[in-house]
Amino acid sequence: MNRIKKFVSRLLKDYFSEQDKRELIDILTISLQEKIDDLVELGTPVDAAIARSIKEFGSTADVLKAFPDKTSEIRQDLSRRRRSAFLFSVFGYVVIVGLTLFVNLWFKEFFGGFLWFVVIAIAALFWPAAMFYVYRNVKK
Amino acid sequence: MISSDIIRGHVDTIILKLLTERDMYGYELAGEIKTRTANKFDIREATLYSVVQRLESRELITSYTGEKTHGGQRRYYKITPLGKAYYRETISEWKTLRDIMTAILGDDIL
Repeated sequence: MNRIKKFVSRLLKDYFSEQDKRELIDILTISLQEKIDDLVELGTPVDAAIARSIKEFGSTADVLKAFPDKTSEIRQDLSRRRRSAFLFSVFGYVVIVGLTLFVNLWFKEFFGGFLWFVVIAIAALFWPAAMFYVYRNVKK
Repeated sequence: MISSDIIRGHVDTIILKLLTERDMYGYELAGEIKTRTANKFDIREATLYSVVQRLESRELITSYTGEKTHGGQRRYYKITPLGKAYYRETISEWKTLRDIMTAILGDDIL
């Protein structure tokens, strides 16, 4: 049951309000579990029944098809949250780079003139870049 | 095979129709749809169960835990009086739509 619930929870991770999500997770988990029970009763091994049920179940997009009037609202909400996460990552990046730049320049002589903040600035780029990629995917 | 996108608006009616015949659990509904349409209607279980949840939240159907004839417990769904009324209404709309399409397409759909 835990494996099924985890699978369903992951599908709905970014969608619906907490209460709607809880109800939906409950009903989807129970229905999937019933399918597994049916398959096991017909002689399918448990692991094979779980794997088959998950494979045939469908995706997040299939869940959203059941809520055509809410789909655009759900997508807009997700897009808003992803945009906030992206802006936060840009802000965080600027703070990190600013701080390292300050420390690097303030103690320049201590570091022998080596501008190591550039390494940090390049390495930390992964954060806003990843957030932008996720945001762009939602926009698509 | 017809995809769920084309028939999406009618999944509610299909589920309500099946539940007017007898109470069923989720996977039983999925199996019944496959059997009756000879696998021509490809509806994902994720969509089907989500529609069931939506119908239940709108009080068109209700659920209870029952025993399967051979096996463990299942969550059965039962159509409510409100669901029956809604079903009759959608059937009436469907008949109107059918008359309109028949009048326009005529012999082409025979």
